[in-house]
Amino acid sequence: MNRLLVGLLILVTFQWLGESAVKLLALNIPGQLLGMILLLIVLSFNKSLLPWLETASSQLIRYIALLFVPVTTGAFFLGPEILDQLPQILAVLILSTVLAQWFMTLVIKALDGSDE
Amino acid sequence: MSDIIAQQWQLISATSWPVLLTLAGFAIGWWIYNRSGRASLLHPLMIATPLIYFAMQIIDLDFAAYDAGNGILNWLLGPATVALAVPLSQQLRQLPALLKPLTAALLFGGLFATLSALLLVKLFGLSDIILLSLAAKSVTSPIALSIVQQIGGLTGLLAVATMVTGLAGIVLAKTLFRVTQLEDERWQGLILGVTAHAIGTAKAFEASPRCGAFATLGMGINGILTAIILPASIGLFIM
Repeated sequence: MNRLLVGLLILVTFQWLGESAVKLLALNIPGQLLGMILLLIVLSFNKSLLPWLETASSQLIRYIALLFVPVTTGAFFLGPEILDQLPQILAVLILSTVLAQWFMTLVIKALDGSDE
Repeated sequence: MSDIIAQQWQLISATSWPVLLTLAGFAIGWWIYNRSGRASLLHPLMIATPLIYFAMQIIDLDFAAYDAGNGILNWLLGPATVALAVPLSQQLRQLPALLKPLTAALLFGGLFATLSALLLVKLFGLSDIILLSLAAKSVTSPIALSIVQQIGGLTGLLAVATMVTGLAGIVLAKTLFRVTQLEDERWQGLILGVTAHAIGTAKAFEASPRCGAFATLGMGINGILTAIILPASIGLFIM
């Protein structure tokens, strides 16, 4: 329990640091993402925070689907002008996924082969 | 910087009974998902959200009130995004050995996933609001959500788009790996993580821990790159 709370407090502190820095420096990236990058940098130099973070981070990530329930429920309230375009939207999502996966395979095959 | 804390506190303190709808819907979804042997198409979100929608129709609750009542869950998305740094930092140790192909595949793959989606949106003549909502669809949901909030898309549409992308990604990848004879599970993992985010990463962990580790790397680094590049360049695609 203690580790969970300390971990959550560390995560919230880094989120606050990220959001403050984005605001102060007028950066064009999401604040919580900068918080994540800052934590990543700290963890790559100093692992002593890691045991304190493990419980909170693994629990948050494990139940992340629960946190997405309100946002996803919002999809039912999108309105007809969006829903009318749903077939094209689905086509965009599937086609771009095919293209990106195929492209990545080509890059990997070209580079991985050249090393051997 | 106390205004940031005040803003967050406002979100948390608006939490009220609608959060119980979410918890009940999710508990039912989780139960069915586990009973089904964790079939991707019966993901807890797929079951919980229509149930909650019908409950809202019956008790006549509008979305704004429901969303505000779920303040604590919406707030927790912030720390959950920061939490992604922990598994990512554990996987970054793998990086140096394969730096060249890894960086190239990641950079091109991630950029291509986003760029091809944006160009297809234009090609199909879809509206700008849809473009803004789909832009982050191949990024892991908490990061994607923060990007879409930043650039001003519809979060509900993004939530569905990331889910569809993840599910399509794992189905398509299976065929692709067979057709192109890509057998190295490190690369399979990387492709799953970059193009199908958390859903692809879960699939990669089913294959092997090594495959999952590379998926985690791909998902995390692609998320960071997209969050840095997209808000600054999205203006180029808006008329």
